[in-house]
Amino acid sequence: SSEVSEAQTTDSDDIVTPVSLKCPKAGSEKMCIEIVSLAFYPEAEVMCDENVKQVYVEYKFCDVPLSETETPVSLRKPRAGEEIHFHFSKVIDLDPLEQKGRRRFLFAMLNRQDPEQGRLKFTVVSDPMDDENKECQEVGYAFLELWQIMESGRDGVEQELDIVSPEDQATQIGRLKVSLQAAAALHAVYKEMTEDTFS
Amino acid sequence: MGEPEEVVPGSGAVFTFGKTKFAENIPSKFWFKNDIPTFLSCGDEHTAIVTGNNKLYMFGSNNWGQLGLGSKSTVNKPTCVKALKPEKVKFAACGRNHTLVSTEGGKVYAAGGNNEGQLGLGDTDERNSFHLISFFTSQRKIKQLSAGSNTSAALTEDGELFMWGDNSEGQIGLKNMTNVCVPQQVTVGKPISWISCGYYHSAFVTTEGELYTFGEPECGKLGLPNQLLVNHRMPQPVPGIPEKVVQVACGGGHTVVLTEKAVYTFGLGQFGQLGLGTFRFETSVPKVVEHIKDQKISSISCGENHTALITDIGLMYTFGDGRHGKLGLGLENFTNQFIPTLCSNFLRFIVQLVACGGCHMLVFATPRLGGTEEMELEE
Ligand SMILES: [Mg+2]
Ligand SMILES: [Mg+2]
Repeated sequence: SSEVSEAQTTDSDDIVTPVSLKCPKAGSEKMCIEIVSLAFYPEAEVMCDENVKQVYVEYKFCDVPLSETETPVSLRKPRAGEEIHFHFSKVIDLDPLEQKGRRRFLFAMLNRQDPEQGRLKFTVVSDPMDDENKECQEVGYAFLELWQIMESGRDGVEQELDIVSPEDQATQIGRLKVSLQAAAALHAVYKEMTEDTFS
Repeated sequence: MGEPEEVVPGSGAVFTFGKTKFAENIPSKFWFKNDIPTFLSCGDEHTAIVTGNNKLYMFGSNNWGQLGLGSKSTVNKPTCVKALKPEKVKFAACGRNHTLVSTEGGKVYAAGGNNEGQLGLGDTDERNSFHLISFFTSQRKIKQLSAGSNTSAALTEDGELFMWGDNSEGQIGLKNMTNVCVPQQVTVGKPISWISCGYYHSAFVTTEGELYTFGEPECGKLGLPNQLLVNHRMPQPVPGIPEKVVQVACGGGHTVVLTEKAVYTFGLGQFGQLGLGTFRFETSVPKVVEHIKDQKISSISCGENHTALITDIGLMYTFGDGRHGKLGLGLENFTNQFIPTLCSNFLRFIVQLVACGGCHMLVFATPRLGGTEEMELEE
């Protein structure tokens, strides 16, 4: 009704909103990776390994410094049936002019001739306590198939990935939840690179 | 944030973080011409602002008509509720999907979802405009309002507490009823000085400084030992807090308590909302938030999964679920915070008010005149 629209559109001139100088980047020029949470299976060896007290998760993305692609905190090792939550999200700039290297890196992944390279690898790392004189130790890997996101054309929200043992990748030790907002960027990268290749 | 800061007037600005529906959910700010905010409240997805000129502004989700603007469409800019203009609005409380408003004359209005009678209007029909709750008259002066997930509370200057709405978990403290559609007095025989409705639990403080909790008993959010949980439908005093309690704030699964000396938290902290570090994700025993124990905290606020603290000198600390940027700690890269984390954006401001909601946070802050460098050095 007219009464309704009037109630909403008038009388807000008394609000001042400074104009933002920042122009938000288009979806095809960035991607967002979120490390959401992780859980270990109760029967997994890591659960009874007393050396593993707290863990963090990291991945490597082209030239992005590792310090920006690892969770900034380590969390207490999850108990049986417990999930620990990082909610660590990072936007990766894929500007077509300034980040050509990253776009090529993505294309190489999407072009999955080598199955190992078609995946983004997440590493679960055991972080010794401050008072322990020990090294960090990799306790699990999880792999995200980027081409699946591109093919489906849909962002992956809270996808559950198997965490496998570094010694034996057939042994599943838990689940890692990640979200990826990248469908638009992956599509653009793939299109741009295939056009380059064949033109 | 490293970008040129637009000039905020000396009277300050309201800063928005997370899924506010304002400015496409990008961290943003606005201010009023010739007016200032005096009270902020965030619901699950909506926001209320009361100003010094006693006007009420609303924005956000509106699926239940909780903005009281006469429609159910989302509003993405603070909009004055013209119907309440003849009134002098004093307080507002946003619940999950409804809103309460009180006036200087002692009237209380409600709008929005009403499936459990949380509007206090004697029925369970939702309203998309503010309706007067006839129970409250000028005889009672309202001191505080609070609203949770289908629950409502009004506290009077005399220390009388009235609650209504959903009682399925005993969260309005009335033993045998599943819900009530009109305000009912909740009493422990002593005057009450503070009330907070969480999502499915509630807490109040007596003028003597004792903390009571009631409602959903899971995950330690009542701060009670196991043997007392059988009586979770009635307010029970929380043991283990030696000092006088001043304020309490209830979130989705956690409770934050401000005493004369410290901040205590209990309940669920899987995202860091207890501020107790990276090794404790749940406690039913109230724990001191050690990280800020050298600071004097003057105000606390809980969203569903996050917490904000204001210090006596107007600094703000946030912790908990970092999704959508609701902790006010960044522009596009976010993470959960497990200890109170200083919002450095506000070092050049004095934070006056904060309100945390489901996935958002609003802050009212005024420019800090001089002393900026000192503030930064201290950190
Ligand atoms: Mg609220
Ligand atoms: Mg709340």
